[in-house]
Amino acid sequence: MSDVTQAKLSTSRRRAHWQRHLRANWLHLIMAPLALLWLSPLVWILVTSLKTNVEVFDQAAGFWPQSLNFSNYPSTLSVAPFGTYLVNSVIVTSSILTGQMITITLAAYAFARLTFPGKNLLFTLFLLQVMFPIYAIFLTNFITLREMGLVNTILAMIVPFIASGYGTFMLRQSFRQVPSELSDAARLDGCNHLEILWHVFLPLVKPTLIAFGIISVVTHWNDYMWPLLVTNSEGIRTLPIGLGLLAKADSGADWPRLMAGTTIVVSPLLLLFVIFQRRFIDSFMHTGVK
Amino acid sequence: MSHAFARARRNEMLLAYALLLPSLVFLAIFTYWPILRSVWFSLHDVLLGDPDIYWLGAENYLRLLEDRLFWKVLGNTAFYTLTTIPLSIAAALLLAVALDSKLRGMAIYRSAFFYPVMIPSVAAGMLWVFLYAPGYGPINEALTSLGLPRLDWLYDSKWALPAIVIMSIWKYSGYFMLILLAALKLVPSDLYEAARLDGVSARHRLLHITIPLISPTLYFVIIIGTLHSYQIFDYVYVMTQGGPADSTNVLTYYIYQNGFQYQDIGYASALANALLVFVLGLIGLVAVTLGRKVHYLGER
Repeated sequence: MSDVTQAKLSTSRRRAHWQRHLRANWLHLIMAPLALLWLSPLVWILVTSLKTNVEVFDQAAGFWPQSLNFSNYPSTLSVAPFGTYLVNSVIVTSSILTGQMITITLAAYAFARLTFPGKNLLFTLFLLQVMFPIYAIFLTNFITLREMGLVNTILAMIVPFIASGYGTFMLRQSFRQVPSELSDAARLDGCNHLEILWHVFLPLVKPTLIAFGIISVVTHWNDYMWPLLVTNSEGIRTLPIGLGLLAKADSGADWPRLMAGTTIVVSPLLLLFVIFQRRFIDSFMHTGVK
Repeated sequence: MSHAFARARRNEMLLAYALLLPSLVFLAIFTYWPILRSVWFSLHDVLLGDPDIYWLGAENYLRLLEDRLFWKVLGNTAFYTLTTIPLSIAAALLLAVALDSKLRGMAIYRSAFFYPVMIPSVAAGMLWVFLYAPGYGPINEALTSLGLPRLDWLYDSKWALPAIVIMSIWKYSGYFMLILLAALKLVPSDLYEAARLDGVSARHRLLHITIPLISPTLYFVIIIGTLHSYQIFDYVYVMTQGGPADSTNVLTYYIYQNGFQYQDIGYASALANALLVFVLGLIGLVAVTLGRKVHYLGER
């Protein structure tokens, strides 16, 4: 290659490099304000929780609080038992997760690795559950639970969600990707199906289990409608229900206190999200591809 | 030998049913039985907590057809779904394409758009009640400073539902963006390179290369979005209670009102069945119209 062409190449390369730079920066001009717009509600929660009630309604008061007023936090905690709500949320969410992990692992193994009559029909039944909106059946489920005497118990918030068509589907896809040589080898070593499932399959699909776990926790931690319908006493309510009640009692009269409550309710998941960002992002990202 | 084989097959079958049993018990009690039961209820006059029920035949369904409010509620539901889903998916697609171009600070942007998914619906709803407050809310303040007229938002029957749509776009776009971003990563970059060298504009690259190639994912996102859109119940419950003048009353909320507030289980069940037909119909429609146009890269 002659020097001239090389020089040409390098200028064109430099220009391409510069153009790429421009394009990236040009995009920032749009993306940065958009990102700020998206973040602004979160900023409003925090800022308002540090204001006094007078400042909120005063239009001349400006965006930032005049002085940082942390008293809204103890005040929120004194009007509503957020500690109890937190414990209940943890119990409900972790029980659902545990139950789901057991049911979906067993069912997904059967669908991925065993042959039996009625397999397709049963799999369709599992998949249909994904399509059925809970809103079409919540009324009847409420009546069923009342007949079982479970209304206003922690169990009522857990049992309707133990089986998961979606989780079974996700896990079945992963199980099918496990090379059959592995299970054949284990089989020759004298392992039965349950041992193969436990020692060979589960360790290999850990990423899928984590992804499903994160999605399940986010969904049920934040769930509002169902716990609202089946609980009516302070002792068993979850965080979102507690926040809803606080809002009703306040009805917009004390925004700083309400926003302090909101901060308390949203922070556990947001903190986990900030710490385990990659895992969260990956989990939600691959719900579409797998 | 064949005897042993048959026994092995029978054992495998029994094992499979045993493994499915835990799921099936819960599915039967909490998914399939309620559907059968709500069909049964919808044919009767049933009051919440009253053991006596009376056969009505199709009367609840005839009532539904003549119920003005039902049609209004259906219209509101359709408006919400047909605006929120296309708008948030369009926003998500543009965000995903922008972030896919190896933008610096991509992780920060991604989290900034995604975090609303982590916020409980009740907290999001309440927060936006504050943001939309006509007197002192930041949104009206911002409109004023831009020289635009202030709006009554959730108190205005014209603006209340669009206000919930705007909030939903904020809440869900990030989720759709993430799923689309995963799909974009699988599109071979030499395709773009070739198109760009051929002088194909960015808009045409998006319309004729990107969208067809990620169409299976787009299709999936539309279905997920449809299923998510019923969560509007939470927002309506927290933000407007269906008002003003039923302008934000949607099917899921109307079921709740009839069942729990008026205790009319029979009619509420008829509505719930209408919702079920509506959902399955919509998904069927999406499957028939879009499902056929979907391209699967490298598949047969």
